[in-house]
Amino acid sequence: MDAVVTDATQPAIALRGVNKWFKSATGEPLEVLKDVAFEVPPRSILALLGASGCGKSTLLNIISGIVEPSGGSVSFGGVPAAEFTGWDTIGYLFQDDRLLPWRTAIRNVEFALEAGELARAQRRQRARAALRLVGLEEFADAFPYQLSGGMRSRVALARSLVREPRMLLMDEPFSRLDAQTRALLHGEVLRIQNMKHMTIVFVTHDVEEAAVLADQVVVLSPRPGRVREIVDVPCARPRDPTHPAVIAYIQRLRALI
Amino acid sequence: MSEYTDDRSLPRAARAFRLNLLLQRFALVAAILAVWWAAALTAPHYVLPGPGRVWEALRLIAGNNDLWANLGITFARVSAGFAFAALVGLPLGILFGANRRFGVFFEPVIPAMNTISSAIWAIFAIIWFGISNATTIFVVFMTAMPLIITNVWQGTRTVNADFIELARTLRMPQARIMTKIYLPTILPHFFSGARLAFGFGWRVSLVAETLGSSSGVGYRLRQAADLIQTDQVFAWTLALVVMMATIEMGMLRPLENYLFRWKKEAGNA
Ligand SMILES: Nc1ncnc2c1ncn2[C@@H]1O[C@H](COP(=O)(O)OP(=O)(O)OP(=O)(O)O)[C@@H](O)[C@H]1O
Ligand SMILES: [Mg+2]
Repeated sequence: MDAVVTDATQPAIALRGVNKWFKSATGEPLEVLKDVAFEVPPRSILALLGASGCGKSTLLNIISGIVEPSGGSVSFGGVPAAEFTGWDTIGYLFQDDRLLPWRTAIRNVEFALEAGELARAQRRQRARAALRLVGLEEFADAFPYQLSGGMRSRVALARSLVREPRMLLMDEPFSRLDAQTRALLHGEVLRIQNMKHMTIVFVTHDVEEAAVLADQVVVLSPRPGRVREIVDVPCARPRDPTHPAVIAYIQRLRALI
Repeated sequence: MSEYTDDRSLPRAARAFRLNLLLQRFALVAAILAVWWAAALTAPHYVLPGPGRVWEALRLIAGNNDLWANLGITFARVSAGFAFAALVGLPLGILFGANRRFGVFFEPVIPAMNTISSAIWAIFAIIWFGISNATTIFVVFMTAMPLIITNVWQGTRTVNADFIELARTLRMPQARIMTKIYLPTILPHFFSGARLAFGFGWRVSLVAETLGSSSGVGYRLRQAADLIQTDQVFAWTLALVVMMATIEMGMLRPLENYLFRWKKEAGNA
């Protein structure tokens, strides 16, 4: 299907020497990212950890292709971004849910399929399956204002999963939810990742979230954003944030940012 | 699931509230009629006819098809002028909103048009179109169009950039972004503009018809006034008010509630 076939033995996502300058409000060039490089093995989970404003969202937008890097390269399964055609295999979950208020939950999930050419009945069917996956099938016909924050996040998750992505990018997912709901949704994401074998890159400034979810944590330092260190977290799942081994990683990461 | 679809079964408290409201409306109408009746006793009937006289006049014009024919003619003219205004105003509003240069260039035209009285449009219309349907249609059009443009234009400014970004991560084509994000965002603004324009259209249509028409409610109003048939003037006015209220409550309100049921206020109203 893809014009250029990705190589499963290559990293799912690889960044080399990525730079980014923005024009700041005063008109002077602002260096936001400097020489960022890391690789994401297929089916693994990578966290981008760093303080506010160090360029995490910009980095995620560069990976998703909606922002052009000023220099360096991004490749998917060995295929450079310029030749990559499988953008519909990448799901994006924003920090806020971005549900269209005039659409019901199921119609919001269908929105992700409306960029393609799928027939209406098939869209409906797949959207329903995605809502079932996140446990919200009963609320298919509810409008966003009728849903709680946690439910809205689930709908957004369903929308980013409905195209059955092989890679999922998440920008501070669920960060606006209470700790309990967030932990619940973390479990949900891990369950779905395990089932669908996705590669996940997510942004966070929460050290505990990084240690509980990620196989690998890329710690960024600010102004300009650079890779300070890449930390492997080999603990078994499910991870308990009060377990001594996990605590040790949390402390180590905390010392780095 | 039914809990989240449109719930028509009103709870008891809400039903009691409705009943109470209905009684209040009745009381209001009764009070107005009483005051009117009392006031009419003190004045000659060609100055202030009483409710009874006006009722007789209403029956007279309703009986010989006068009422329905002229209401129909006026309604058709207002609708035509309004439809043209919507047809021109919606795309222009979107264009001005989407293209900054157009917007900046044409911005002064709208307030300038709004300051021109509909009586002036009516005079121009008589010069250009004479005594014809086009005169009233033109006046309604010139009054309604700036209102619709202004509202749609404002609507384009409320389009959420985050939704556009979402669509771009999905690689959605530009044309679909227009229909799936721009249009639904603009629709409530268009609707409130259209509603305003429709109401204004009715009012100015009467001005236009008194000046440049030989049919329609406005023409009949002036005719009745010229013949000092004050009871008929009242009857026409009453018929018009009832018709406007019916359109507003029987058509526009339910349509708006349905279209914008996703809004918290409308959905729970
Ligand atoms: N479109 C833009 N134009 C100019 N500057 C930008 C733009 N987008 C981001 N920036 C700047 O780039 C820097 C990094 O922004 P970014 O949103 O990537 O940070 P972040 O790490 O995601 O922060 P947070 O954790 O608060 O979300 C900030 O200083 C911001 O002002
Ligand atoms: Mg961010």
